[in-house]
Amino acid sequence: MKIKSFRGFGISAIVVLTIAMPVGASAQSILDKIKQRGYVSCGASQGVPGLSRPDERGAWTGFDVETCRAVAVAVFADKEKARFVPLNAAQRLPALQTGEIDVLSRTTTWTFSRDLAVRFVATNLFDSDAAMVRKAFKAETFNDLNTATVCLQGGGSLLEKALDEAVEVFKIKVNRVYFDSTVQARDAYFSGRCDAYMTDGLAAVGQRSNARDPDQHQIISSGLTLEGLGVAIPRGDDRWFDIVRYAVNVLIWAEEKGITSKNVDEIARTTGSAEVKKVLGLEPGWSRNLGLDDKWAYNIIKQIGNYAEVWDRNLGKDSPLKAERGRNRLFKDGGLHFPIPMN
Amino acid sequence: MLTYARHRAIVLQGALIAAVSVGAYVLVTGTAANLSARGIPLGFGFLFAPANFSISETLLPFKPQDPNWWAIVVGIANTLFVSAVVISASSILGLLVGIGRLSGNPLVAGATRVWVEIARNTPVLILLIFVYALWWKILPTASEAANPLPGVYLSMRGLALPLVDIAWPPALVMTLITCAAAVWAARGLAVRRQEASGHRPAYVTVAVAASIATLAATAVLSGVSATVEWPRLGRTNVIGGLQLTPELTTILVGLTIYTTGFIAEIVRGGILAIGKGQWEAARSLGLTQGRILRLVVVPQTLRVVLPPLTSQYVNVVKNSTLAIAVGYQDFMTIVGTIINKTSHAVEGIAIILGIFLILNLLLSGALNWVNRRMAIVER
Repeated sequence: MKIKSFRGFGISAIVVLTIAMPVGASAQSILDKIKQRGYVSCGASQGVPGLSRPDERGAWTGFDVETCRAVAVAVFADKEKARFVPLNAAQRLPALQTGEIDVLSRTTTWTFSRDLAVRFVATNLFDSDAAMVRKAFKAETFNDLNTATVCLQGGGSLLEKALDEAVEVFKIKVNRVYFDSTVQARDAYFSGRCDAYMTDGLAAVGQRSNARDPDQHQIISSGLTLEGLGVAIPRGDDRWFDIVRYAVNVLIWAEEKGITSKNVDEIARTTGSAEVKKVLGLEPGWSRNLGLDDKWAYNIIKQIGNYAEVWDRNLGKDSPLKAERGRNRLFKDGGLHFPIPMN
Repeated sequence: MLTYARHRAIVLQGALIAAVSVGAYVLVTGTAANLSARGIPLGFGFLFAPANFSISETLLPFKPQDPNWWAIVVGIANTLFVSAVVISASSILGLLVGIGRLSGNPLVAGATRVWVEIARNTPVLILLIFVYALWWKILPTASEAANPLPGVYLSMRGLALPLVDIAWPPALVMTLITCAAAVWAARGLAVRRQEASGHRPAYVTVAVAASIATLAATAVLSGVSATVEWPRLGRTNVIGGLQLTPELTTILVGLTIYTTGFIAEIVRGGILAIGKGQWEAARSLGLTQGRILRLVVVPQTLRVVLPPLTSQYVNVVKNSTLAIAVGYQDFMTIVGTIINKTSHAVEGIAIILGIFLILNLLLSGALNWVNRRMAIVER
């Protein structure tokens, strides 16, 4: 008995130690920590085509991944100075809170309670909940999911809430099967365990491309919600907030100004706009208050491109997914994105 | 003063306690300060907030409006259920497989050996995922569900059986309790008689027979009614009835296969530990083979086997946390969900550790108590 209680004490001591570990680290700003470490640590999904997934050579690609790479470019002028940590729905917020990652851009819906736990900085995608079903299942709306079995990722993702809401609104009954990761849920659906696989709309388009027979599946939207998928950082560091917010903003800003990775040098030479000149780094000292090099925005556009380029490459016409840009167009084109002026 | 061993011990222990207290104080205050600096609030108030999530399979009733603490209780019930079924099943199978390993029949010995080697040399997570994937390969889709008997459907979506709902009249329940007491009393009388005369009367058999007759009579007289809910084939799913899902089946079957491998080896070791002389001595008293096993060998084997068995049972409770890998929501998954929704990671992990510690201390405490009782019986 004595040995056991001693062991019990040992376990609790280790736990307390682990929790107390970052005591020393908290005094340092996130930017200093990242510069010392030499790379930005980004949260990623466990594999969603088009959003975040390692390719055959192990390099992370996708829309969410490039959003985080933009931050790495702002800090290091090098998009390779970002490392990605695959996280499931339950792990992602604690990973930010404990400082394991610096930036979370991983289909995370911006909500009140999450914003009190971490700090949302910008919306990089607008999306709604969707379900993938077999065409043979003949479902047009969520109403048709009555008595269906639905596979989805559990662990407190907003999808669970969306499904509960749909069940309530449409007065339907469904059997739920929750999995640890969205990939397991998808595989269970593909195998026939479930009639429907529920995920975000864009992720559903991506996952359908993984099917053996993508034509046999269709995506239906609940039509109930529109959610902003946000980029989030740990709370309590205003400097880091500024850097991440404007690194993401530059992507949208560049699209509105018609600046792409290909024409950025030419525009820097020829533009008459003082704002464009400044942002492209021709006004010395303009980002001193950010703690960044004057060329940070130019580097993002040069290495990553603008929002449209990132979209086309990962989700749009140059990708296998060919997703409709829809609400993710700029406001002037009928979408919801608009840049914060860089004056 | 330090020359006396007793004084030295007191001083050393005092210093140790002081060091531990200071260390704990520093850690706790440091953690709290560190967490509040990161905007992570501490406290257990979240336990009483509504859970706002669904659980796919529960033993106890649960709806999203229920508070978080009830979700945790529901999760503990799921974990206890899985652990209890796996512990019972793997104990019985382990006993059989363990005896099978010692069999002279090469077929039995070989087959049980294969089982033990597979179970012991495979990571349990891989085993679970393998069993789960197996359902997808061998079972038909829901619309082509196998219907071997009326009201029984077997498909990828699980096994559906008719659900029998029996209404228990109070008279029958009372009779059941009385009969159980009567059988227990009969056994006590038989034992006393045996100790006095060396002859054991068949009181127990008589009591059991009488009980069955009484119960049947009461059941007929009090009018037991049973309603049956038959499962039926819906659009793509089997609806209604008693549904056993592939997820629950996988965690039960997978963990049982795994744990049986270890228990079988413990049983084998326990039987081999009983000297040949015990068998010969018992045989010379004229006991039959079955009685030798039951009265001489098994009681001694149990003593050898219990301590290692305890740690296997504790392992089952811990391994049940792998359930989410195959889509079954256990206690740990549910607390994980609560952590994600409320951001109370420190409290959540503390609850997980605390509950597992309590469960396993209770389990090993109970088995240690049995063990001590066994040890005293030996003289």
